[in-house]
Amino acid sequence: MSLISVTNMTKRYGRRVGVVGLNFSVPEGAMFGFLGPNGSGKTTTIRVLEGLLKPSEGVASVFGLDCWRDSHRIKSEAGYMPGDLRLYPWLTCKIALKIFGQVRGRDLMQPGMELAKEFDLDPDVRVRNMSRGMRQKAGLILALVHRPKLLIMDEPTASLDPLMQKKLYTHLRTLMRAGHTVFFSSHTLSEVEQLCDSVAILREGRLVADESLENLRARASRNATILWHKSARLDGVAVPEFIDVYERHGREWHASLTGSAVELIRWSAAQPIEDISIGRPDLARLFEQYYQ
Amino acid sequence: MRGLIAKTLREAWVSLVLFALSLGAVEMLLAYILPMFVGDQFNQWLELKFIRNFVEVMLGTEVGETIGPHMIASIAWAHGVVLAIVWAQAITFCTRIPAGEVDRGTIDVLLGLPVSRKKLYVCESLVWLLSGVVTVVVGLVGNIIGGRGGMDEMKMTSGQSVIVVTNLYCLYLAVGGMSWLVSSLSDRRGRAVSVVLAIVLASFFLNFISQLWSPAEGLAFLGVLNYYRPLMILRDSGWPVSDMIILVGVGGISWLIGGIVFIRRDIRTV
Repeated sequence: MSLISVTNMTKRYGRRVGVVGLNFSVPEGAMFGFLGPNGSGKTTTIRVLEGLLKPSEGVASVFGLDCWRDSHRIKSEAGYMPGDLRLYPWLTCKIALKIFGQVRGRDLMQPGMELAKEFDLDPDVRVRNMSRGMRQKAGLILALVHRPKLLIMDEPTASLDPLMQKKLYTHLRTLMRAGHTVFFSSHTLSEVEQLCDSVAILREGRLVADESLENLRARASRNATILWHKSARLDGVAVPEFIDVYERHGREWHASLTGSAVELIRWSAAQPIEDISIGRPDLARLFEQYYQ
Repeated sequence: MRGLIAKTLREAWVSLVLFALSLGAVEMLLAYILPMFVGDQFNQWLELKFIRNFVEVMLGTEVGETIGPHMIASIAWAHGVVLAIVWAQAITFCTRIPAGEVDRGTIDVLLGLPVSRKKLYVCESLVWLLSGVVTVVVGLVGNIIGGRGGMDEMKMTSGQSVIVVTNLYCLYLAVGGMSWLVSSLSDRRGRAVSVVLAIVLASFFLNFISQLWSPAEGLAFLGVLNYYRPLMILRDSGWPVSDMIILVGVGGISWLIGGIVFIRRDIRTV
């Protein structure tokens, strides 16, 4: 069952186009990565899902409810962490937990304090006295504290140190194992590779890919390094189609492997090659292709 | 709803206390000082045209040959500082949402909670209505305390007090309602404040000019101050029903349109 469903969604800002004809869905229990360069429409999409923007065309729904009309109902089971997080300067984590608890109609103090401890945040510090990273932690606590069925996060790790990033990843994995759904935007590939099971890639407001990470890995080229034997005559080497040599340093060639590793091994067996190494699927290269 | 009201009160209580105490202090001071002006000396001043004009502008009506205790007492409610405090409170409060929240980006977190925009608007408005009541009541208390030692003729009856304060509250509602509307149309609080300030200042000057320049009299109905005349209340002791209806109407309609705009608009903070 799809928890998030976006159909032919377009958002225009006057003459400028935010996103065009988006179609994607996120199944329940998935960790969904939303990738794209700056200005590609990630935040616009998230703001439509959050009911902050009304789609110019098409429909966006969460839990089967319309994101614009039923936004407040969706949010009772959703958590949101904005990209450019701003909190009230007078707020402390403790006060926020009290107010948010009153609005959500449940006591959030105890789970909130546990999260504050986990994220190493003093719950009595006012936002005006917090560093950017501390504010980010406070935002995460407020987004996670009610254990939402759906967590929407816009570049959540941008201001977190590596240790906190790790803690967040652990927390997200725990949520996912418990059947919760996580939708987050990022332009950090390693983050997406570590966490997500499926991704959508946006470029200039259009969806250019929407598939599982496994499929993307299968389509991604691998880096291969070939070290020719000293006696090899490199001028006459006929390079097969599935190898794209992009760098040559004397006897050492760096190539992108578009075919299978088996093909490369078969071909190299007949060549005067001293050593060969084949890397993991190069997602960065694939994403670069999507981005350009 | 409790959480939202708690949040709004946490944000607004400091300004509410400041505005209410300021109004109370100004009223106390005026009520204490003004009785000193009752008498022949002030009537002699009135013979000077510019002073007469100034008093007429402030009271929003023509004064007779002599100025009586009621007229002097009404100055305490029509003084520029009193109006400025009431307007400033209305504008400060009513531009907080959505313009203020969008401007500082906190609306993302606020609307990330399971609350509809309608509920948010209504909760904020309830606190706005309550704040106005507190301020005008503190103003009245200040006026009563300041005028305790003054002349009996200058003291308002409890009926007059209620009417004057209610009329002032209606003015607060009109300016506040306009502020909600402008705020709903804006993403920048500074811009929203400037626009409302321009409107109330234009209203003030229209009222001013219409007393001095007869061709402008025909336009006086456009200004909110045309419907706030404490002198008439103290003189006639009657409810200025039509004035109040107009002020509440302007405020109410603006507030309603502001709410509709807020509910339908896009929220962009980046």
